Amino acid sequence: MEFNIVNPKTKSELLRAIRKETTFRFGAGCTDLLMELKKKPVENLVVINLSFVVDSRFTGLKKLAKSFWLGAMTTAHTMVMNEQIKNDFNVLYESAHNLASTQIRQVATMGGNLCTASPSGDIACALMALDASCHLLNDAGVNSVVNIHDFFLGVRKTILKKNEVLYGLTIPTNKKQTKTVYSKFIKIGTRRSMECSVVSLAYHIQVNEEGVIIGAGIAIGASAPTVRSALSASGFLIGKNIHLITEKEKEELACKIVSYAEPITDLRATAWYRKEVLLNISKSIFE
Amino acid sequence: MKKEKKPNESLHHITFSLNGKRVSCSIKASTLLLDLIRDTFELKGTKPGCYEGECGACTVLINDAPVNSCLFLAVNANGKNITTIEGLLQHDGSLHPVQESLVASGAVQCGFCSSGMAMTIKALTHQHESVPHLTGAIKKALPSREEIKKYLEGNLCRCTGYVKIIDAAEKLFALDIEKNEKGI
Repeated sequence: MEFNIVNPKTKSELLRAIRKETTFRFGAGCTDLLMELKKKPVENLVVINLSFVVDSRFTGLKKLAKSFWLGAMTTAHTMVMNEQIKNDFNVLYESAHNLASTQIRQVATMGGNLCTASPSGDIACALMALDASCHLLNDAGVNSVVNIHDFFLGVRKTILKKNEVLYGLTIPTNKKQTKTVYSKFIKIGTRRSMECSVVSLAYHIQVNEEGVIIGAGIAIGASAPTVRSALSASGFLIGKNIHLITEKEKEELACKIVSYAEPITDLRATAWYRKEVLLNISKSIFE
Repeated sequence: MKKEKKPNESLHHITFSLNGKRVSCSIKASTLLLDLIRDTFELKGTKPGCYEGECGACTVLINDAPVNSCLFLAVNANGKNITTIEGLLQHDGSLHPVQESLVASGAVQCGFCSSGMAMTIKALTHQHESVPHLTGAIKKALPSREEIKKYLEGNLCRCTGYVKIIDAAEKLFALDIEKNEKGI
């Protein structure tokens, strides 16, 4: 494994590095990148190291008027330790808390988890259920915003162009009328720690005082080439009263979620098993 | 004429604190912290296990947080405080309470995972110190057995079956309560 490295310290140095380098990869926590380069070295590679960029938007968390800002360099550990994430976006807290191991969580970043675009990306799956918006920055310093539902194109492929970097994202704050939030990340793996999800399900459902569902985000992981949002399942829930949901409706909801799955058979599980498990965990949403 | 091959990697100069001592060195961009610690500084207590971030034998503390040194670029150690197992040695040459607890609990067999285990448990003590309501509600702030298990999830041991290692961590925190209650 050989490469060169540049260590930009400011936003303008970062943009200059993107303009200058031809064969480059971004390095954030580097936990995935180093493993990848060990297996498949790239000649004349330059790693643009994001670890030293000093910019609170890039590295920090902030409560905004109608949303919550998450810098791309936020580590899983920082997310776990953040009170607002734990209180308002439990699905994100759980996905970060169950990511890899204590040691990996100290360095693995939100931006890395998203841009690696793994079909089983846990944080990516939770952020999809939260309907996050990705904020991109190009080498000319121009910002653009893309919804997370449009961010992933395929296995390890995102919408990011070569001259763009993910700078952070915003999560819409829970609706004012929300009384209760059903927010959970269910991860099925062959063991509890240090494991890629065999199947995962993320949901964030907001309910008002009367029990009416006023917001719903449901996403599935490790079940298709990308993490996917089960939009029709979310739409199916809106307006329903949580206390009056029938068993038949729960079945219907689970079937709608599974209709988004296109799993493969690999060393972790068969496609059949993934669909069966997804169906069963989908039925457990309101239990 | 034979073309001379250009060296692929340029050198980077870094300065950091290693077990409380300021050190500097020049390294290649791809140098891993684990190799730097073992080969350049000849501190062999940090163990190379899987080199994939799976086993935790190479755990060191970076600014008091536990990190797999096999998946950490040495370049990123610049300006940081790194603590290895050698840094746990007390001023009088005795073992650190974390190590003593591991020994007393019979939590060391082949010993290959022990330094990584000790470093992760040490990191947990830092977290416990930083809990704001520590004073006055010590028991509440202490990690439960389940929390200890969860915290040690990135450290593998093939000998002990984990029970004695978790016991050692639990006893260490129990000792802390005792000391606090006695006002030591």
